[in-house]
Amino acid sequence: MEEPLDLIRLSISEVVFVKCRGDRELRGKLHAYDQHLNLILGDVEETVTSTEIDEETDEEIVKKQTRKVKMLFVRGDIVVLVSPPLRTG
Amino acid sequence: MANRILPLELIDKAIGSKIWILMRGTKEIVGNLRGFDDYVNLVLDDAIEYSPDPKDKTKIIKTELKSEILLNGNQIAVLVPGGTGPPEDSLAAKAR
Amino acid sequence: MSSEEPKAAADAAPAADAEKSKRSPSDFLKSVLGRPVRVKLNSGIEYRGVLACLDGYLNMALEQSEEYGPDGLLKAKYGDCFIRGNNVLYVSTQKRR
Repeated sequence: MEEPLDLIRLSISEVVFVKCRGDRELRGKLHAYDQHLNLILGDVEETVTSTEIDEETDEEIVKKQTRKVKMLFVRGDIVVLVSPPLRTG
Repeated sequence: MANRILPLELIDKAIGSKIWILMRGTKEIVGNLRGFDDYVNLVLDDAIEYSPDPKDKTKIIKTELKSEILLNGNQIAVLVPGGTGPPEDSLAAKAR
Repeated sequence: MSSEEPKAAADAAPAADAEKSKRSPSDFLKSVLGRPVRVKLNSGIEYRGVLACLDGYLNMALEQSEEYGPDGLLKAKYGDCFIRGNNVLYVSTQKRR
């Protein structure tokens, strides 16, 4: 591996985990990518995490919403991290 | 014309001394400047990071970064070369 | 980063002796390659891992990486991960691992 994008190149056709801005996480098969990290993912599961503050108890409530998408395009500038998901926690 | 100072020459003179960095947003950093490049990425020693507590914006969290760091230039707003850090009336000074 | 760079740096070494205190970002990055690092993002999230490689955008590939939240708690572990450079606030060496 010579440059970081090689890690993405080696993940083509694999299921990858993508962490995006705005507490958005994606897991799907990597079909294509470019130098901006624009991605095409297939059979994607999207998880959006949001927190609300309970006015009464002042406690944080963490909400996770998930949905499935057949195929999507991710604009590179919102990507924070990409990982082959084998050992993700 | 020839003796006009380029902005980065001022930063070059600050190498080896303290520098105060104001980031875009509210973060501030003070450290010893070791070097920099054309993008104003900085190498710093003994840096201290000051940023607001996410739970209570009136509080500042001070973090001492114990090893050398490379600070990404793309979030830097202002550099104060030779600056000894935030003035006493600044938000960051309250954390000291 | 071109493959010429390490050679050029070696040639410049005697001259650099005069300015021992100077250390450019590229000197720093060369010295931390293959070593354990801490990468702090603008969002406050921090990654610790072995720096496998990086490019001019500060995109990085980390091995044996761990994700820590702004609260300092371990959030996740990744075998390998790619971090997009525009999110990076700073990179620092990690003494203990």
